[in-house]
Amino acid sequence: MGAAPTRIGQQDPELVERTGFSPEQINNLHKRFLQLSGNKDTISRENLNDIPALAYNPIKSQIIEAFFDKRNQHDSEVGSLEEITFQQFLMVMSHFRPPTLEMTAEEKEAMRKEKLRFLFNMHDTDGDGKITLEEYRKVVEELLSSGSIEQESAKEITDAAMLEVASTNVPHMGPEDFYEGITFEHFEQILKGLEMESRMHIRFLDTATVHCGKS
Amino acid sequence: MLQFAQSACNLLCRCLGITFVVWFTILFVIITVPAVLEVSLGIHRFYIRTLCRVFEWATLQIELSAKQKNRQFSKPHTKGILSKSKPLSVQENMQELRSSAHSRRSEPQFDMGDVIYFCRKGVESIIDDEVTKSFSAQELESWNLLTRSIRRFPHRGLRLTLLWGLGVLIRYGILLPLRVILAVTGIFLFVILSTSVGFLPNSKFFLGEKVHLMGYRFCVKSLTAFITYHNSENRPKNGSICVANHTTPLDVIILANDRCYSLVGQVHRGLLGLIQRAMVKSSPHIWFERAEVKDRHLVAKRLCDHAADKTKQPILIFPEGTCVNNTSVMMFKKGSFEIGCTIFPVAIKYDFRFGDAYWNSSKFGLVHHLLRIMSSWALVCSVWYLPPMNREEGEDAVQFAKRVKAALAAQAGLADLTWDGGLKRTKVKDAFKEEQQRLYSEILWFKV
Repeated sequence: MGAAPTRIGQQDPELVERTGFSPEQINNLHKRFLQLSGNKDTISRENLNDIPALAYNPIKSQIIEAFFDKRNQHDSEVGSLEEITFQQFLMVMSHFRPPTLEMTAEEKEAMRKEKLRFLFNMHDTDGDGKITLEEYRKVVEELLSSGSIEQESAKEITDAAMLEVASTNVPHMGPEDFYEGITFEHFEQILKGLEMESRMHIRFLDTATVHCGKS
Repeated sequence: MLQFAQSACNLLCRCLGITFVVWFTILFVIITVPAVLEVSLGIHRFYIRTLCRVFEWATLQIELSAKQKNRQFSKPHTKGILSKSKPLSVQENMQELRSSAHSRRSEPQFDMGDVIYFCRKGVESIIDDEVTKSFSAQELESWNLLTRSIRRFPHRGLRLTLLWGLGVLIRYGILLPLRVILAVTGIFLFVILSTSVGFLPNSKFFLGEKVHLMGYRFCVKSLTAFITYHNSENRPKNGSICVANHTTPLDVIILANDRCYSLVGQVHRGLLGLIQRAMVKSSPHIWFERAEVKDRHLVAKRLCDHAADKTKQPILIFPEGTCVNNTSVMMFKKGSFEIGCTIFPVAIKYDFRFGDAYWNSSKFGLVHHLLRIMSSWALVCSVWYLPPMNREEGEDAVQFAKRVKAALAAQAGLADLTWDGGLKRTKVKDAFKEEQQRLYSEILWFKV
């Protein structure tokens, strides 16, 4: 049945350090991982597709793809995986960990950058480091209804948004120049005012942990 | 010398054999006689109390050993991983998100940050969703000395391991064979008696009822099921429909132990088919051929006809359509609520400390499930009879079903979910996703 289902947090302190979750949270997430994978060691896209609550979500395929995206593993590799292990699952989840009170300003900034990177990767599907017009339009289309009128409006919205981004970030662009796409720096600039730390994290239930022994 | 050893061996074997037979017979008689004569000996209260004390002691031992070894002992979460905040609509969530961006635009436009909301919701669904939780076995907070949950407690210590070993011996060596023998005897007696009653011309159904009740009592004893019936004044009356939440096929036995119901189901082959045919000879049940099940009108008509006859037994229906793990109640299918007669809701809640009653049909088959139950400590459950409900003026079948479900869930302390139990095997329809998309586009187009 795979590795022992319990106490994986204590067995692998490296996980705690790399992902920033507490051992308790790692244990709970591991149980959930086993539930989703049917007690196997890896999860495939079908396992995530089968979650009914996720079917409600307009950007379901983007979210699922994000879990299999190599860029979200804090590597510099590009491409996607077929199946992910629990460690890789946790790495993707670590983008959504809640901020703790003991974080310094530097750490908060790093966390923000991480979350922005996750969002950027979600838009930039071909992995070339830029969000092109088509890629951006695809996300907007997924969010709106799939009627034909809405598709027209999606096109308008995307064009208007790209124009604004271009004029803000590359002010001296001539009429002949072609705006290739939003880079990560431009992306950061657009979302500068948005307070992401509290909007983009999962709120864990405070489980009662009985601390035994000397602490 | 050799002869002496041989004769000693023979004597020993004979003694053991006799002891075994005597003991088994005593146990058999103690259980069979009350089952046939509807008398209770009060042994079960003692058994349950002893088991509870043993479990408490076991949990204490685990905590102590964890303390000694200086480890963190965390109780497994049973209420989910995520904290439940007040559920806000899509609009309210978007407003929150946008107001933090200090947007200077006056009219609503698409904001790149809007996608964050859906992103977070998606990841939250991956971490914790109600449906997957309802279809996996419930987790216990303490250990009930069963082999299934032993892997959760690797630091249990020597004493507990010995106790567990003793438990295995008792359960598989004594309880399981006894229960199997009882079950076989019970079914055998039932089939014979029911068929013979069927040959009697008059008072067939009256005697048939007695035979059925005896059969069910046998089954209950063979499962060591301890059932508490609450509010017996609301017990279903003739000419009505009884609905209950579904956890295991044994729910039928639990309920039918108290009064006879007419069951609805497909005709099976083999042993189950034999039992079905025997049942129908002495009591009216509704068995369908496989082909007929697809024809909803035919099914509805037969149910209607049966329910309209006020002298006939109440029909027992499980509107969820599938087994759920007894922590929540899933959507009730509206078919039985369209018929239009009185509904008697019944809530069943199992005490999982003594054995897991949930049948996870994707994990194991029926026989395996029965063996699991027969090798657990006991099957303890509470049955609540709720007051009868009728469809009100202006209420359609779906709303009526929701009302009944809410009352049932409230009585048994289960979560009331609107998800369809069919999601165990099928996927969610695209219509739900389109609904969310529609809501979002409304935000963009109307003044927020």
